[in-house]
Amino acid sequence: MSSATASGPLWYQDRGDALFALLKYTTIMFFTVMVLVPLISVVVVSFWSPPEFFGAGPHIIPQEPTLDAWVTAFTGFQDNLINSALIATGTTALALLICIPGAYVFGRQEFPGKEWGFRVIMVALLFPYILLIIPLTDTWYGLGLFNTIPGVILAYQVFVTPFAIWILRDFFEGLPANLEEAAQVFGCSQWQAFYKVILPLSLPAVMATGFLAFLVGWNDFLFSNMLTTGTGPRPAVVTLYLQTVGGESRYWGLVMAQALIVGTPPTVLYMIARRHLTQSFAV
Amino acid sequence: MSNVTAQRQETTQVSRVDRFVGAIREHWFSYLLFLPTLLYLVFLLWIPFFRGVWMSFHEWSSGGANPTWVGLENYIYLLNWDPFYTSLQATLGFGIATFFQLVLAVAAASLVANLDKFKAIVSTGLIIPYTMPPVVTGTIWLYLLDPNYGPIFGYLMEWGVISEPIYWSSSGLPALSVVSGVLMWTFWPFMFLIILASRESIPDEYYETAQVYGSNRVQTFLRITLPQLKSAILVALSIRLVWNLAKVSQAFQLTQGGPGYETSVLGVLLYRFAYSDGQFGMGFAVGMFLLAVTIGFVALFIREFEKARKEGSTA
Repeated sequence: MSSATASGPLWYQDRGDALFALLKYTTIMFFTVMVLVPLISVVVVSFWSPPEFFGAGPHIIPQEPTLDAWVTAFTGFQDNLINSALIATGTTALALLICIPGAYVFGRQEFPGKEWGFRVIMVALLFPYILLIIPLTDTWYGLGLFNTIPGVILAYQVFVTPFAIWILRDFFEGLPANLEEAAQVFGCSQWQAFYKVILPLSLPAVMATGFLAFLVGWNDFLFSNMLTTGTGPRPAVVTLYLQTVGGESRYWGLVMAQALIVGTPPTVLYMIARRHLTQSFAV
Repeated sequence: MSNVTAQRQETTQVSRVDRFVGAIREHWFSYLLFLPTLLYLVFLLWIPFFRGVWMSFHEWSSGGANPTWVGLENYIYLLNWDPFYTSLQATLGFGIATFFQLVLAVAAASLVANLDKFKAIVSTGLIIPYTMPPVVTGTIWLYLLDPNYGPIFGYLMEWGVISEPIYWSSSGLPALSVVSGVLMWTFWPFMFLIILASRESIPDEYYETAQVYGSNRVQTFLRITLPQLKSAILVALSIRLVWNLAKVSQAFQLTQGGPGYETSVLGVLLYRFAYSDGQFGMGFAVGMFLLAVTIGFVALFIREFEKARKEGSTA
């Protein structure tokens, strides 16, 4: 009631509300169209047949829907998809192994050098990691890590680790203050307090971090293109890229099926991890 | 006199070692858990970085056969090379595109936060471009914008808007606009994620109070939403700016950095030297310029981050 008197006559407020609602829904509609229409047209074209693609001009509903493109795409990409899955899983595992302990000490322990250490990690977060493809490629040649799955996994830590520590640290810091002391009163060692009390409580943030690491392992092109060749563990993203270099026009139906096959796993994972992610992203 | 100083120096040295040993003894658990991170920082970041700096003073081809010391010649070559300045210009264009991403993200986040229904579905849908590999979204746009068979020019011609397709990849400004546009479409949801999360953590009471005092929507947005989102916006902007400068797969895929060097942002230039030409030394020299551009943003980011943390701890 006080709000009505304060912001003027009721009819004015109603009109303002209606206008705002109109603006709100139009804009949101605009955003949705901007994102979804390109995606839908890509899905649609993957069901066209080649003659339809080259002959029929722009349309939406496939005239004779066929799964040919999908079957060809999937058979051709099988090995590369397995490589991608192995690389992404390995990246996630190694990232968690490095980041959970690291983020824990920065979130919940006091020790000399903490401020300094965290600053170094923040610098790493904003380091233009593209620089490192050069020395890493060169070193990987020498160490025999070039063109191997462990080599790619190790290289991906360059940009997974700082971001993961940053997100996890915030979560650890937000947990109640005396958890470890309480656990130690009940006879836990420092180590037990960490993995029996703190770790289970942090599962949502750990999942979010794991998801992000997987996303990097699956999505990245720069390092994997640089560090693998056709004879080695080439991931699907690089194979997809190679479909698009060269000549001007091609049978896009097939390429779109390939693109969607490569793009779907991380998107589905995102849908699953979404709830935890949103919490972790609050700054 | 000098004896006393020497003695004093000795005692401080001893106590420093003592303190070091004491710290390790007292905090061994923390240091142990920090160890993997430290190994990562040393072996994957700093050693490769300094090795790269050293490489940039050489004519160093991929495979590392017989590098020759050339001193600063790589750097001097770049500074006297016209495409390098084309590249700097393109990098600036990329930077500007990041601000458009921010505008999209703030608008979408403040509106989505006001939705009563379907909030989860809408925000999830909006993020899809970011969850897919950039090479996938790049491929998608290559098809959509294909002058001969793509639907965008197909429809525009069918509706009579244009009479012939635009071959955007063959001239500078259209190519750069397409590359920045696709970059924007792919990465704005990252900012949206961060800003929406922070927008949702603003307590509802703030808005209720503002309403009681009779402020309208524009006023609440300017006086409550924006100030509350300040640190989120700065963090999202600086991370994205730095990452966009380093993220070159789409520019590389859409135009191969061409026509000429028109869309070769510094990152793409580096990649062309390293991947296409195998000139590692020259590539890293480009990287050093990229680093210089980035350091400005890093400084800003750290300052804001520390400030936000202090505000957070006093609140």
